[in-house]
Amino acid sequence: MKLNVDGLLVYFPYDYIYPEQFSYMLELKRALDAKGHCLLEMPSGTGKTTTLLSLIVAYMKAHPLDLTKLVYCSRTVPEIEKVMEELRKLMNYYEKEMGMEQNILGLALSSRKNLCIHPSVSKEREGKVVDGRCYSLTASFVRARHAADDAIPICEFYEGFDAHGKEFPLPPGVYNLDDLKEYGQMKGWCPYFLARYTITHANIVVYSYHYLLDPKIAEVVSKEITKTSVVVFDEAHNIDNVCIDSMSVKITKRLLDKCSNSIQLLETTISNMKENDSKRLEKEYKRLVEGLRDATIARETDMALVNPVLPSEVLEEAVPGTIRTAEHFVAFLKRVVEYVKTRLRVQHVVQESPAGFLRDIHTKVCIDRKPLRFTAERLASLIRTLEISDLTDFSPLVTVSHFATLVSTYTKGFTIIIEPFEDRAPTVSNPILYFSCLDSSIAIKPVFNRFQTVVITSGTLSPLDMYPKILDFHPVIMTSFTMTLARPCILPMIVSKGNDQVAMSSRYETREDTAVIRNYGNLLVEIAAAVPDGIVCFFTSYLYLETIVSSWYDQGIIDQLQRHKLLFIETQDAAETSLALINYIKACDNGRGAVLLSVARGKVSEGIDFDHHLGRAVLMFGIPYVYTQSRILRARLEYLRDQFQIRENDFLTFDAMRHAAQCLGRCMRGKTDYGIMVLADKRFSRADKRSKLPKWIQEHLKDTNCNLSTEECVQTCKRWLRQMAQPFSREDQLGISLLTLEQLQSEEMQKKIQQRAQGI
Amino acid sequence: MADEDEGNEYRWESGYEKTWEAIKEDDDGLLESNIADLVSRAKRKRAALKATGAIQLGMMRHLFVVVDASACMFLQDLKPTRFLCVLKLLEVFVHEFFDLNPISQLGILTTKMKRSEQVTVLAGNQKKHIEALQQLKDLSCEGEPSLQNSLERAMNGLKNMPVHSSREILVLFGSLTTCDPGDIQKTIKSLKENNIRVSIIGLAAEVRICREIAKKTGGTYNVLIDDHHLKELILNQVQPPAVAGSMEASLVKMGFPGGTPSVNDGTSDTSADHAPAYCLCHIESDTSSLMGHNGYNCPQCGSRYCELPVECKQCGLTLVSAPHLARSYHHLFPIKPFIERAQVRETPHCFACAKSFSEADINVYECESCNQIVCLECDLFIRETLHTCPGCASDPITAQMKTN
Repeated sequence: MKLNVDGLLVYFPYDYIYPEQFSYMLELKRALDAKGHCLLEMPSGTGKTTTLLSLIVAYMKAHPLDLTKLVYCSRTVPEIEKVMEELRKLMNYYEKEMGMEQNILGLALSSRKNLCIHPSVSKEREGKVVDGRCYSLTASFVRARHAADDAIPICEFYEGFDAHGKEFPLPPGVYNLDDLKEYGQMKGWCPYFLARYTITHANIVVYSYHYLLDPKIAEVVSKEITKTSVVVFDEAHNIDNVCIDSMSVKITKRLLDKCSNSIQLLETTISNMKENDSKRLEKEYKRLVEGLRDATIARETDMALVNPVLPSEVLEEAVPGTIRTAEHFVAFLKRVVEYVKTRLRVQHVVQESPAGFLRDIHTKVCIDRKPLRFTAERLASLIRTLEISDLTDFSPLVTVSHFATLVSTYTKGFTIIIEPFEDRAPTVSNPILYFSCLDSSIAIKPVFNRFQTVVITSGTLSPLDMYPKILDFHPVIMTSFTMTLARPCILPMIVSKGNDQVAMSSRYETREDTAVIRNYGNLLVEIAAAVPDGIVCFFTSYLYLETIVSSWYDQGIIDQLQRHKLLFIETQDAAETSLALINYIKACDNGRGAVLLSVARGKVSEGIDFDHHLGRAVLMFGIPYVYTQSRILRARLEYLRDQFQIRENDFLTFDAMRHAAQCLGRCMRGKTDYGIMVLADKRFSRADKRSKLPKWIQEHLKDTNCNLSTEECVQTCKRWLRQMAQPFSREDQLGISLLTLEQLQSEEMQKKIQQRAQGI
Repeated sequence: MADEDEGNEYRWESGYEKTWEAIKEDDDGLLESNIADLVSRAKRKRAALKATGAIQLGMMRHLFVVVDASACMFLQDLKPTRFLCVLKLLEVFVHEFFDLNPISQLGILTTKMKRSEQVTVLAGNQKKHIEALQQLKDLSCEGEPSLQNSLERAMNGLKNMPVHSSREILVLFGSLTTCDPGDIQKTIKSLKENNIRVSIIGLAAEVRICREIAKKTGGTYNVLIDDHHLKELILNQVQPPAVAGSMEASLVKMGFPGGTPSVNDGTSDTSADHAPAYCLCHIESDTSSLMGHNGYNCPQCGSRYCELPVECKQCGLTLVSAPHLARSYHHLFPIKPFIERAQVRETPHCFACAKSFSEADINVYECESCNQIVCLECDLFIRETLHTCPGCASDPITAQMKTN
């Protein structure tokens, strides 16, 4: 249908629309008009993706000069594919309505692993190996050698692309990963490089977070994207962690040992080259004198190793003299590695700032800050000069060089922690050096600065005001939408005590209390007897899950549970977990019913949907606080307190509640779905926790359901389940939670939508 | 929730209620009154669907009723227990079933301890079924039920029934789990191949596999809200369903045994018909083997039965009497659905029950042919029980026309 969103003609590819989708469009349009950033929360299953796409495409068509490109960042490959499908639907609708081909090019980009069509390289399973082999076939020196000697293998698809691909741009249309591969096969062009090349002039680009947030990749892939773009981060509730991870480095003893090996390899290669082809080294030296920048122009395939710091921080200077010659640099690297090795030889935990580290390295091994900053660039240059085509062995050395560059570039917002052993096993020596980013705004800052509009959206972003603080930006729009429902299809409840009135809580002090564990068990058994099909339970940690299951076993609760349903447990092993998941789904499909015990922040809690019968109830045993004894976390908390005035407890609660909301949201994937959400901890009923739940859950959390005992909870469940089982069809939703065009245009509804949009 | 009409139980016996919630104003369209509304609308929709004539109905039905007898049937959310409540309603059902479908047959199964047991075989004798149901009351409920086993067993009983009959299974399922020996999807497939329709009534909550079975086999799946709703759901099954596509229309051979000797009109009667003989219904039970003069003789083989309708044990002929067929007749010519209208001032009361319309009756219903207005309750009553419009029947002209 065609909508009028605040004066903008929007083509919406469906016959019906949810009222909140319309409100979402209104808010998004305002943000685009204001050329500012926005933060939008809308429950999953209400068609966020299609709403975003249809409004932004309409906006691009209406204001082709103000908005030229949409960059849509998603988390996983299946999610990217879903976005592409929605986009295709939208484009088909445009074509049908306007009766002509649309001049819009949308494409998905993923790693080489997902896009490679080279007959042997594409067979590799591991992403790194594919990257490495691709590099060994397409690097400029390999191709130069091939020109001289035909026996040296190159990738014919890349050659095809290089010969013709740039002159004939991709015709307008929607290309997902498979379409790109097909097109590549047809033309004989490499789809990966074709996609990367096309990014610059495509209208819509869909790819993973990392292509924009991780400076190592963003520099290569997303450099050319214009300022007049809108960037969308979907499922962005963990965006701060992605930012932090992309800037952090972890160095272990084993990694350093491997480094020594690769340094040796470098040494031998250098001495060989000196004998055979000393000119080349000299050439490099000269180039370095002039500065690094111009050396790499127009060599896209060579950019396998890049600088880990943000573009603005890279110095536009020449490389310092001490590391210009290859031997000197290798010696320098050796010193760095040896120094880090000595630092790892500690008996107690050490925490220090980058500045302290730099001073120490200066006094101990006489390394200045400046050469350290160039380590990453210099290493990349050296490897290129040495024409080493197999990069996979060098990844440990690359990690160390990244560390060296980062530690000397950033003095604020980072910390170094050296732990001689893990907390769980204090007798086993396993030293690790964490170079940890504390400030999530560092990595995302260039994104906010560069693009006119950045949209951060997810099903669970509450409490909204935390994100602008920790990401350090100023949104023009910040809204949380609720779900309009024709029937109350979620039932959140806070169960605070067992039938024996003992309070239930996962607090550290009562954690081991058998009464609490027994009450948790009884709650699960009674819920399992009252709720059909699938039930998913979340625990705060693997450790807690294990202790609880073993005491349930002793108390006979497991036996009782198995009378009603089969039991599956998530473990840290990915293969085991996916096997458990497959059987869980099977048990639900066959009517036997199943319970899945899993862990908040685990694989199950992120990204696996339990829609309809697969998740009729979600139980949250305890509040999923992060492991507070972790030193990295404590350093981050301290930093947040000092820099952003966020109290430690506020951040911990925020983090715990967003994960709780994420877990609870697993069972609700659409308006015809229904599910029970049980929060089994006394502390959930406190105002500071409750108010941090997403608005669409809070709305259904009535005061009467906030302090229930097990018995009361089960009774409420039973009655509610019977109500939900009554026949429910599209006609019942129409007019309330599902609108036709006429209904949407009715004055009454417009008024309601306006109210909702302004109500926050 | 409709608490007012549960006069037969004490307040404390019923489940947990939060009475303060029931009276809450419903302004955002989210509370329970909305669901009651959904239910009543669905009811009318069903009724309307049935009334859209010209569909072929399977009037000759073979139905297996499967009763869950697993541990969960001892729960007391239906009074006195789920099991007893269900049995009691089933008695009503059996009675109504044979009343409306005199030429049909019924059998009863139970399922518990992962097995399925046969209580009565397919037969047309309602007394026997009701007796069996009463005996079931002492059965202890234990273990888990097995949907697959009971469906398989019912299927074996139904497989060999003639093609022109409608084969059905009705499951009263209290449990939320089923413990099956194999892949239930295969069972569903063969049910479909055999043209067996499975309807399920859930007693607790929506179970996906039940919905799937019902959907794939063309039956219905409903979950009760309370015991009144359960009664309604069970009695809905009394109406013969529309025929599922492939069933072919065919002539059925039936026998109409002669009348009793007191009505001696002498047409088909011979003296042999009234000779003292054992009736075949009771010949197996030695305690009550009555030898009498009265009864119905099969016109084909001459066996004696003391009740109709019945399938002749000797020659397999269906024996009925003319009134039985007449009673099935209204299924074929249902009255036209009434038209829903907004309430108007001119007709202040319902034509059928003379109740004056209140604010609560938003919609009233008008008969197409006589233009009389009735309320929702009367509309449903006329459709489901009376099968004739009181307005048309009281008008001498239309009534005359109809009989002609």
